[in-house]
Amino acid sequence: MTADPTALGIPEDAMRRLAEMRPGQSTSLFTSDLSVNEFLLVREAGFRPLGLVLGTSIYHVGFQMGRWNSNQELTVLSQAMYHARELAMTRMEAEADQLGADGIVGVRLEIEFKEFGSDIAEFIAVGTAVAADQQQAPDGHVWRNNKDQPFTSDLSGQDFWTLIQAGYAPLGMVMGSCVYHIAHQRFWQAIGNVGQNVELPQFTEALYDARELAMSRMQAEAEQLAAEGIVGVQLLSLGHRWGGHTTEFFAIGTAVRPLRADHVIAKPQLVLPLTDS
Amino acid sequence: MTQWDGHGLPPVAAERMRRFASTGLRTSLLTVPGAVGAQSVGFDPVGEVMGCIVQHIGWSGFGLGGGTVTSSGRAGFVGFGPYVDALYRGYGTALARMTEEAAAMGADGVVGVRLSVSDLGNDNREFVALGSAVRSRSRHRPARVFSTELAGQDVAKLMQAGWVPCAIAYGISVAIRHDDWRTQRQSTWGAGNTEVCGYTELVAHVRADARYRFDQQARATGAEGAIVSSMGLQIRAIEPAENHRDHIAESTVFGTALASFHRGSTAPTRSLTILPLR
Repeated sequence: MTADPTALGIPEDAMRRLAEMRPGQSTSLFTSDLSVNEFLLVREAGFRPLGLVLGTSIYHVGFQMGRWNSNQELTVLSQAMYHARELAMTRMEAEADQLGADGIVGVRLEIEFKEFGSDIAEFIAVGTAVAADQQQAPDGHVWRNNKDQPFTSDLSGQDFWTLIQAGYAPLGMVMGSCVYHIAHQRFWQAIGNVGQNVELPQFTEALYDARELAMSRMQAEAEQLAAEGIVGVQLLSLGHRWGGHTTEFFAIGTAVRPLRADHVIAKPQLVLPLTDS
Repeated sequence: MTQWDGHGLPPVAAERMRRFASTGLRTSLLTVPGAVGAQSVGFDPVGEVMGCIVQHIGWSGFGLGGGTVTSSGRAGFVGFGPYVDALYRGYGTALARMTEEAAAMGADGVVGVRLSVSDLGNDNREFVALGSAVRSRSRHRPARVFSTELAGQDVAKLMQAGWVPCAIAYGISVAIRHDDWRTQRQSTWGAGNTEVCGYTELVAHVRADARYRFDQQARATGAEGAIVSSMGLQIRAIEPAENHRDHIAESTVFGTALASFHRGSTAPTRSLTILPLR
C-alpha cells in the first residue's frame, strides 16, 4: 500500500527542493512523451528516459488502378506505405541513437493525409528514448537488438513494465502492410444474390489473402530480429483515401525475446473496484 | 472607474483577492480524486485562480528567405517572429497573472492548469490559464509558485516517487517554405511514390525548433526532466502572389518541468500489482 508520505520527505523535501531552485541552473534535462503513469512504470522497470524522439516524412503516395473485377494487391501503394513508415521510423531511431539510447518505448506511428495536396500524407513516429540502469539485460546480452539499434516498442508504459516483469525484452516494432483491391461483383452475380443469404466467396478470399500477406510480412520482420514471438499485435484495415474497394491491411506488433527461462510473475492482488469500468 | 495600467492584477481580480482574504472561503476546480490525491502528498486546496490576456495580433512578420525559415531565425521580422513572440507573450502573461493570484492567496503552487486560446475575431485572441491553487503543509516555501497541467492524482503519484512539478513549459515555432520546382514536381499527380523532401524538411525544422525551445524553457527553470502533455502541428498553404505558393507550419509542445527530490540515487518505488475484477 502507499507508504507514509512524511517518511518519504513529502512535503518537506519537495518544498525545500523548490525553494532551492534558481532559474538558469545547468542541469541535465530529459524530456519524455510518456504519461505520468507510464513515466513512473518505465522508471520502475529499470529504465531512465533520455528524451523525446521523433521522425517524420511527408510522402507523395503514387497511383495504381485496380482492375474492376479482380482481387489483387496494389504493390505500388503497398510499397509507398512501407517506405514512408520506414523513413519515419529510421529517423526516430537515428535520434535515439544520438542520445545513446538502449531503446525507445511508447512509440506511436501515425499517418495523416494532408489537406493541401492530394495523395500527400505525413508519416510520423514519436516515442521516448530510454537507457537501462543495468548495462546488461538479465540474460547477459545488451538491450539493443541484433542490428545494434535501440529496441523499439509500441507498448504503453504499463505493458512494457509487465513485459519486463514477466521476463521478456522488446526487440523492435515489426510491421506488415498490404494494400489490396477487392474485386467488384459481376452484374449477374449481384443480381443472383438479391434476397439471398449467401457467402460471397470472392470477398472472403480477398480479405483472407490481404490479411495473410500483411501478417506474413510482419512475421518475416520478426524472424530477422531472431524474436521468440510478437506481442500486442494489432491488425488494422485502413481505408485512407482510396475509396471503398481499396484498403490497407496493416499488422503491427512488438517482437520480443526471453530474458529468462521461466516467465512467472508475482501473483497480483485481486481488487473489486466500486466504480464502473 | 480608473484605467488599469496593465501591471499587476486587474482591479476586479485584485478585489476578488481582498474578498478571499477576508472571508477565508476555500474553492477549487479539483475533482474528488484530484483533491484526495493532492491531500495525500500534503497539499491543501486554497482557491481557484485564473489569468487572462486579450491581445491584438496585427503584425505577424513575413516569411521571406531561401529554404526553410523558422521563427527563431536571426532576422527579427522574417519567418513570423513577431507572431510567435505574441503567442509567447499571450501564454506567458496568462500564466504569470494566474500564479500572481495564487501568490496573493498564499499558495505554493497551481495544479490542473488548463491553457486555452480563443479567437475573438479581428485578429484578437484571448489567452486563459485556469487552475487550482494549493498550499503545502510544510515549513518550506518554494522560491516561485509552481504550476502544472497535471491533475491532482498525477501530482500525487509523481511526488510519491520523488518528483515534484516545478513549472509549465512550452515551445512554439512557425516555419515557412517556398514551394520550389522540386517540391512541385514531387507532389504532382504523376510523381509516383516519393518523399516530398521540401515538406519533410519544413515539418522537421519546425518541430525541432519547437522542441528545442520547450527544452530550453524547461532547462531554464532548473528542472531535471519534462513530461510532454501535448504536441500539435498545423500546416497550411498560402498564395502570396500569382503562381507562388508557400507552406506555413506551426508547431507547439506543452508540458510540465519536473525536479527530483528523492534522497537515494534511484527513486523509491512501491507499485502494487492488482487485477481489477470487473
